[in-house]
Amino acid sequence: MAGKLKKIVDDTKEGNSTELDLVDKGIVNILEIPGFVNLKNLSKLVLAHNKITSVPPNIANFLNLEIIVLFNNAIEELPTTLSSMPKLKILNVGMNRLSTLPRGFGACPMLEVLDVTYNNLNENSLPANFFCLDTLRALYMGDNDFELLPPEIGRLKNLQILVLRDNDLIELPKDIGELIRLRELHIQGNRLTVLPPEMGNLDLVGTKQVFKAENNPWVTPIADQFQVGVSHVFDYIRSDTYKFLYGRHIAAKAAPPAKTNDKSKKISRIKK
Amino acid sequence: MTTTAGSRRNLFSLQPLDEQTQSPLFQRRRVAVGEETGHDAHLLQLEEEFSANMSLGNAVCQRCNDGFKMDEQIVNSNGLWHTYCFVCAQCFQPFPEGRFFEFEGRKYCEHDFCVLFAPSCGKCGEFISGRVIKAMNASWHPDCFLCFSCSKSLADEGFVKNQGRALCKDCNAMEKAKGLGKYFCFKCHSIIDGGHLKWKGEPYHPYHFNCHSCGIELKEDAREKDAELYCLRCHDKMGIPICGACRRPIEERVVHALGKTWHVEHFVCAKCEKPFLGTRHYEKKGLAYCEIHYHQLFGNICFVCNNIINGDVFSAFNKAWCVNHFACSICDKKMSQKTKFFEFDQKPVCKYCYDKFPGELKKRLKKAYDEAVKSGKV
Repeated sequence: MAGKLKKIVDDTKEGNSTELDLVDKGIVNILEIPGFVNLKNLSKLVLAHNKITSVPPNIANFLNLEIIVLFNNAIEELPTTLSSMPKLKILNVGMNRLSTLPRGFGACPMLEVLDVTYNNLNENSLPANFFCLDTLRALYMGDNDFELLPPEIGRLKNLQILVLRDNDLIELPKDIGELIRLRELHIQGNRLTVLPPEMGNLDLVGTKQVFKAENNPWVTPIADQFQVGVSHVFDYIRSDTYKFLYGRHIAAKAAPPAKTNDKSKKISRIKK
Repeated sequence: MTTTAGSRRNLFSLQPLDEQTQSPLFQRRRVAVGEETGHDAHLLQLEEEFSANMSLGNAVCQRCNDGFKMDEQIVNSNGLWHTYCFVCAQCFQPFPEGRFFEFEGRKYCEHDFCVLFAPSCGKCGEFISGRVIKAMNASWHPDCFLCFSCSKSLADEGFVKNQGRALCKDCNAMEKAKGLGKYFCFKCHSIIDGGHLKWKGEPYHPYHFNCHSCGIELKEDAREKDAELYCLRCHDKMGIPICGACRRPIEERVVHALGKTWHVEHFVCAKCEKPFLGTRHYEKKGLAYCEIHYHQLFGNICFVCNNIINGDVFSAFNKAWCVNHFACSICDKKMSQKTKFFEFDQKPVCKYCYDKFPGELKKRLKKAYDEAVKSGKV
């Protein structure tokens, strides 16, 4: 196995390639990849479908890395050094065992796409400066444990894609209405009953936009509008009638619906 | 006696008096002269008397009341005078060239008469004899009372007072039009209420002109070409390019694009409205866009590198990829048009990676997919 890996690394080095793909190679420790530390010019590192449990802090020494894919590993923690990587644009750490993001992560200077799908993250897992990531254009957080979305989400002015599919969200902050560039929003499979009227600012209706909101316990008026179509939902939440209803709903402080998503079988939870 | 009635008349050469003159001074002078002419007949009678008996024994000088010596020269003018007594009532000098002016029984040389009684002109400051124009709280020579703006004589046609200036009626109307922000027709000299037409730099009512080509009465949208005026239709036919944005003729550089012609500065991006100024533009549905906005609007920015895609575009899930970056979003394996892939959060996933998904996730994805199919969304 190690021999095979060495050959791939050597080929990469000799071919002056800056991309290293080691998908499904049973790798446990990145540092055990033979000759890996010599690939200083690496711009793309794809290590999907391995058995990696931790990411070494010295990954930050690969100053040219722009894309890191660690999808489907067993990582429980990321190094704080990630935020010092000057060119990192795409980080995919989906399908791991993350229950927290490293301190200071929001300082990543160039990060455009962050994929933390299918982990064990919630609103308390995010570092304080997380919403300083104003270069972010896509944020994938589906299949996590968020019950609340921090209102600071409104600071991610460049966000075009936001995925919150299959979390435990009980409400969305009104600040989501400030994400004026948003063209894709996935909130299906949560515990949402109402939408903030400020979401009426968003343009998510149209052939170029995506708005997915199925499998939520919507209040009847919203559920009715979904029956006729997404554009009707947005027309409705912009109406004064709805603003009044929404105000009353929030004031009533009804208990949130119970969790319905059974996550016991998620591989991010199962201890091996 | 040396002066004859004839020469006396000659001497007494007052300016011709105008019956119309309303100046009080001239009224008085007219009365004085009238009296004089009345005396005239009487004087002539006297003269005849004198000449009949040549006796001046009891005649006295009008000024000093002394008698005359027999051989003394006598001035005969509305009475008899010693030559040394026949002088200006003001300066006591003989009248230059015998000209004098009489007023209230006194005789004055021209200079003193003017100094004492004649008005001076508000423009040139000279004395006015003859017709006096009283206007604007001053007196004027008829030739000095002119329109402030065009210098036309106002003596006979009248004037309009405008901000302390005397103006002729035309200039006043022009000033008024200027104040209202309107133009003043150069032909009929009245205010142009609607749109105006400029020709050779002057504004006119459009209806004073007809199209040089078709003869139709012109409107304000008429155009000038080679010092002739044309209606818009004829002007357009003459092959002058019209800007597709402002609809005005293009006299400088012409941009040909989208099947139209444009002013360089009017050929702009339909989104940001910045002129292309010769840089590359992209067309879509009859509109032109700059590179950035074309790709931003029509989605040809690669999802991975975030750059504008030159060349082939791979499109899926409302996203686009450049040839180099269309790959499985998990294992980064390159894909082609023929590669089958799955949708996961609106990203492409190859079959190999999808198969590696945990069963519970696949089950959920399958269920969501089936529901979407049922509701007719896929």
